[in-house]
Amino acid sequence: MTDLVQTLIDGLGRGSIYALLALGIALIFGVMHLLNFAHGETVTVGAYIAYASLVEMELSWWVTAILVFLGAIAISVVIEFVAFRWVRGTEDFTMLLTSFGVVFVVQAFFVMYAGATVRSFPRPEWADRVWQVGDLNVGVIDVVTIGTTAISLAVTAYVLRRTMFGTSLRAAAEDFDAARLMGVRSNRVIRQAFIVAGALAGVAAVFYLMRTGQARPVVGLAPMLKGILAAIVGGLGSLSGAVLGGFVLGVTEVVLRAWLPEYLVGLTDAVVFAFIGLFFVFRPQGLIPVEAGERV
Amino acid sequence: MRSLLAGRVGSQVVGSLALFLIMVLGGLLYASVGSVTRDILVTQMLINAMMVVGIQLFIGNTGILSFGHIGFAGIAGYTFVLLAMSTEWKQRVLPNAPLGLVDISLHPLGATVVAVIVTLLVAVLLGFGLVRSGARSGAVAATVITLALLFVVHEVGTVYADLTGGRNGISLSIGVLLEGRTWVYVALFASILGSRLFKSSRVGRLAQAARDDDLAARSVGIDPAPGQMIALLLSVAIVSVAACLRVFELGTVAPSTFFFDYTLLTLVMIIVGGRKSITGSLLGVVVFTAVNELTRSLAGSGSGAGLLDLVLREGLTDIVLGAAMVGFMIFRPNGLIEDREVDDWLRSRMRTEEPRPAAPGPAPVPAPATIRATDVVVDFGGFRALDHADLEASNQHIVGIIGPNGAGKTTLLNVVTGLIRPDEGSVTLKDRSIAGMESFSIARAGLARTFQTMRLFPSLTVRENVAVASLSAQGHREVGWRPSVDELIAHAGLWELRDRRARELDYGNARRLELARAAALSPVFMLLDEPTSGMSDTESLAMIDEVRRMAECVGAGVVVIDHDLGFITGICDTIHCFDQGTVISTGTPAEIQADPAVQAAYLGVTVEA
Repeated sequence: MTDLVQTLIDGLGRGSIYALLALGIALIFGVMHLLNFAHGETVTVGAYIAYASLVEMELSWWVTAILVFLGAIAISVVIEFVAFRWVRGTEDFTMLLTSFGVVFVVQAFFVMYAGATVRSFPRPEWADRVWQVGDLNVGVIDVVTIGTTAISLAVTAYVLRRTMFGTSLRAAAEDFDAARLMGVRSNRVIRQAFIVAGALAGVAAVFYLMRTGQARPVVGLAPMLKGILAAIVGGLGSLSGAVLGGFVLGVTEVVLRAWLPEYLVGLTDAVVFAFIGLFFVFRPQGLIPVEAGERV
Repeated sequence: MRSLLAGRVGSQVVGSLALFLIMVLGGLLYASVGSVTRDILVTQMLINAMMVVGIQLFIGNTGILSFGHIGFAGIAGYTFVLLAMSTEWKQRVLPNAPLGLVDISLHPLGATVVAVIVTLLVAVLLGFGLVRSGARSGAVAATVITLALLFVVHEVGTVYADLTGGRNGISLSIGVLLEGRTWVYVALFASILGSRLFKSSRVGRLAQAARDDDLAARSVGIDPAPGQMIALLLSVAIVSVAACLRVFELGTVAPSTFFFDYTLLTLVMIIVGGRKSITGSLLGVVVFTAVNELTRSLAGSGSGAGLLDLVLREGLTDIVLGAAMVGFMIFRPNGLIEDREVDDWLRSRMRTEEPRPAAPGPAPVPAPATIRATDVVVDFGGFRALDHADLEASNQHIVGIIGPNGAGKTTLLNVVTGLIRPDEGSVTLKDRSIAGMESFSIARAGLARTFQTMRLFPSLTVRENVAVASLSAQGHREVGWRPSVDELIAHAGLWELRDRRARELDYGNARRLELARAAALSPVFMLLDEPTSGMSDTESLAMIDEVRRMAECVGAGVVVIDHDLGFITGICDTIHCFDQGTVISTGTPAEIQADPAVQAAYLGVTVEA
């Protein structure tokens, strides 16, 4: 029982980050059928902002967190404006490669102007603290991550369900053409989707960076892949599915890390990917499928 | 059929040879005027060319974007090194290698063979997931699976140091390197030729049809899965050999040898020329080998000349490649030469006059057959699209379906052709149940359909569009009578346009082509969804004759949905009128027009003269 709760807490802490990223990815996929490989670049940009803020300007983590959050929104919007806007409505293939190309442009930019080497920055001193609750070891960072994620998801859910802005966004995510015919302005609604996705990614980036404390040009790849896998496991385009997929992925990882024989622990990610591949063979539509009835 | 496939093999061989010679001779010319490093560069370019040809085979024919091929290359590369390195060297660098690998050392040729087999086994496993997810939820999920493979290979390479030497990788051994380019030449030529022949083969054509329009392909009886699987295995075989050569040439393999940078490079090469074209992909190889050389020499020059130094530095190559990728996707997603090949050009120069085929005689009167849909219910969420709808159609008559928008006409057609699974009710063809069958099986059973929003295979030619349907129908159902592809094309009035790509046709001809394609299945029934939509009155009246003619020449029954009353009363023997998901009236055109229920539901709303 204790084991189970412990696993759940660790897994939710990890899964929170994936869930936030996956939700943004699902949202963008919904409004423009784009699988955004460049979504992880919010983390890359955040990492260098964190380095600049913490090490070069010696600011506090509080200020840094806000800067990372804003930076993530900014890069998300900029990428939409510079690249994705121009391939809207084209084939899957075109959009996939566009977002893949953007990843390289951002990475190569940092290689050129910051170097390929790892730049470390201090993690917040409370990040390693652990609370003892009975037999449980509860990481402070897990609690803070889960709490903030819960609040972020609640706010997002409120915005999507209760505001006019959210209604048009959800309408566009479900049926973009119909939404446009009903007067939803496409440029605006897509930009808004990137703002919301960037904000969610910004929260994820803050906690991801608090855990890792490193900036490198490729730092965004791993969280991007996890976010995308979570979104796909959830059933691409399904918002609740993406969040669920993120948590499932996080818990699965922690379970595997605990149960895999020692010589395989280093390969946890590989095993997770293999599981996901297998999952697709049996359930290609994901956990919570979207009704994607093609009109003929 | 022979003219489409077998007859053109000659020009394909010539075309492949031309491509191969251009690559090799161009490379040799460049190498002859420079230092030894240029010689190495040429070898690498030819190996990259082979890698690109391999990846293009899958991407080009299936339309599924794969990031995983470089992952496959990694598997092959590591397997090759592990098998080809000498035992003494292995005992020094990998003393803990599992599976008794320490004591194995093979000739490079043997190591390549084993590496290809091992990689193909992984490809079969991955292929099942890929084909299933690709078939069900769009190509996007399939792409992510391939991306995951790339990461898995990289992670295993990095972490499992006992086997792979970890982050720094393993070198083949000291002094063992690929000598000469003979094997590179042989392998490259074989790859180009194999890929070119596959592109025009039966399987290749069917795969391209599914690439162009998955739904339309299924509706002419194509199951996309086998084509995708075969393309995957062929392309992985080519990529594996290229990977072995690359590793042999480099003398070392590391996780970074086959990871993101190489994926980016090969993909950019493929898309710049045109991902659907082997010629285009090779053009991309040449262009980007040159660009790479240029940026590398510029970035390396580090002249310290102020402003330039800001740009010319490490990372420049990647930024150029990334920007090229984004730029091409925005401005020219199909690449410089799109889907053309060298041999297309050769052929157009050598074209001989083809005699226009005579009109096919009418088909023998077909045995009676019936489609019967009984009590069909379909719910879309809360909306009941079909509410206990019935339809009976005999192939001895032309049957029409009319009704206001949203009455459920197309939904019924989608149920009959297997695109929608009914919640209740039964559908039979010749008293055999077809409800719940895959749509391609239903097409093979003899139901051909057209679409309201016209779905052709845009990048295939007129002839190929019809040939693909004919190819897919052969072998699935015995038909006594089958006009040839060329006869059908001529009969549909498209003979002069036979080598045009479908996307270049005007609206009326595109409609005719869709009709000819459906007829090429020699179906029991042709189900036409609004064949006159978007046509003028004269055009739709002309359509009456065209539909009749195409149906008669293959002996098919016709079920047609339309809004155009002039057309529908002119062509049909029996008409069913739908409203709110159910049939409200059935009869001859005159009876239907006189029925007050029909007038209330339909004519009352849209008054027709």
